Amino acid sequence: MNLNVKFMISDIPTVLSALPVTLELTFASLFFAILLAVLFGVCILKKIPVLKQFVIGLNTFIKGVPLIVQLLFCYYALPYVLRAFDGVLGYTYDPKHPSYFGFAVVAFAFNYGAYMTDVVVSSYRAVDKGQLEAAYSVGMSTFQAMWRIVIPQAVVISLPNLSNYFMWLLKATSLASVVNVFELLATARASTAVNYAILEGYLVAAGIYWAVCILAEQILKRINKKMNRYQKTVSAV
Amino acid sequence: MWRGHELFISSLPVLVEYIPATLFYFLVPTVISLVLGAWICRVRVGKKNALYWLVSLFVSFFRGTPGLVQIYIVFFGLPKIFEPFGININRWDAGIFYVIATCCNFSSFVSEAFRGAYEAIDKDQIEAGYSIGYSRWQCFRHVIAPLTMQIALPNLKNLEIDLLKGTAIAYVIGVVDVMGRADKIIAQHRGYGQIWILLAAAILYFLINVVIELVFNSLTRHYSRHERGIA
Repeated sequence: MNLNVKFMISDIPTVLSALPVTLELTFASLFFAILLAVLFGVCILKKIPVLKQFVIGLNTFIKGVPLIVQLLFCYYALPYVLRAFDGVLGYTYDPKHPSYFGFAVVAFAFNYGAYMTDVVVSSYRAVDKGQLEAAYSVGMSTFQAMWRIVIPQAVVISLPNLSNYFMWLLKATSLASVVNVFELLATARASTAVNYAILEGYLVAAGIYWAVCILAEQILKRINKKMNRYQKTVSAV
Repeated sequence: MWRGHELFISSLPVLVEYIPATLFYFLVPTVISLVLGAWICRVRVGKKNALYWLVSLFVSFFRGTPGLVQIYIVFFGLPKIFEPFGININRWDAGIFYVIATCCNFSSFVSEAFRGAYEAIDKDQIEAGYSIGYSRWQCFRHVIAPLTMQIALPNLKNLEIDLLKGTAIAYVIGVVDVMGRADKIIAQHRGYGQIWILLAAAILYFLINVVIELVFNSLTRHYSRHERGIA
């Protein structure tokens, strides 16, 4: 087994330069996933007729289908959608430069949004009903009670689950390399095109993913600990 | 979109023929990983010796890197490992590489599910087992394994569903399963109807997942059949 170690070391900066794209993809997907999850969660929690059933059906289907199929589906289907919007509100469809990054974000957002909907619903329900009543009893409006009392608690409850999904998402963004997004893995592959040191390129990518994951895990652990500092006093009573 | 549904109808039976292949790439890693995962779990709850750190490193690597990267590394790396011994495995079926990579990945996750469950079980139960004269094997077989299984099952179900969905990415190294075949059909029909073929594949994956879900639900009922008496 003869690894081209020299190339591996020289390849690290090249692959690292694509790390921002991976992180961007992760955070953009996470943002829209949470947005969708909250939207879906409200539909389920408020028991909005038709929409609730639709959301539950959609989520069940999304969870049962491989992510790569969804990515490819968005990759092929979204250009048609964009073409339909050609000329609407000054938007011009440019078939020569499709936004592969955007397509991947849509796929990730729907996939992880479906999973996070459960987190949103369960953490909202986990907040004690008495909290809302107590907020009302001191004269808060519904919005105030939600914004100041219920939602902060629900966020704390949902954090461990959300950080889990964040880690999954971070690793899942590597799949976007299949649909023409130049993130970490695709860059690692492209960087080996000169000397066919394919394995070395992938090993470098794996090392960076590993390091980033360990780092992210530690950071999330800190955040979780910090957010839970109020919980302890409650449980101690 | 035009005449696309015809492509959907014509590709569906072709893809159905590859369901056994997908199930193969699902079941073989499942069986191997359950055994390997249980062993890893045993090492990781035991003494902190060299083996413990080695196994922990293994688990950390396979949990900390994307499955896709692992598949590539095994696909390109394994032939290089075998090369010095004069064994050429470049002609091996891509599926074998996929199974090896997935076993490493999946057993890491399974071991963590087992470990979490093992740490959650009441240790008095094990002592109670020894106190009535169980041997170590009997204690494992009649006390530890059922209790761990009962707690680990919901986690395991999610992992198994992820594993099935993960088989879809095997097509990137040329494995022909449902997704691999769908990719070939897409290649044959350059430039049109891809959405309908993917939709057909999506529906098949969804149906397999429904079956897995049902199997696990009945397993959960089986393992918690004693709960009612206590509650």
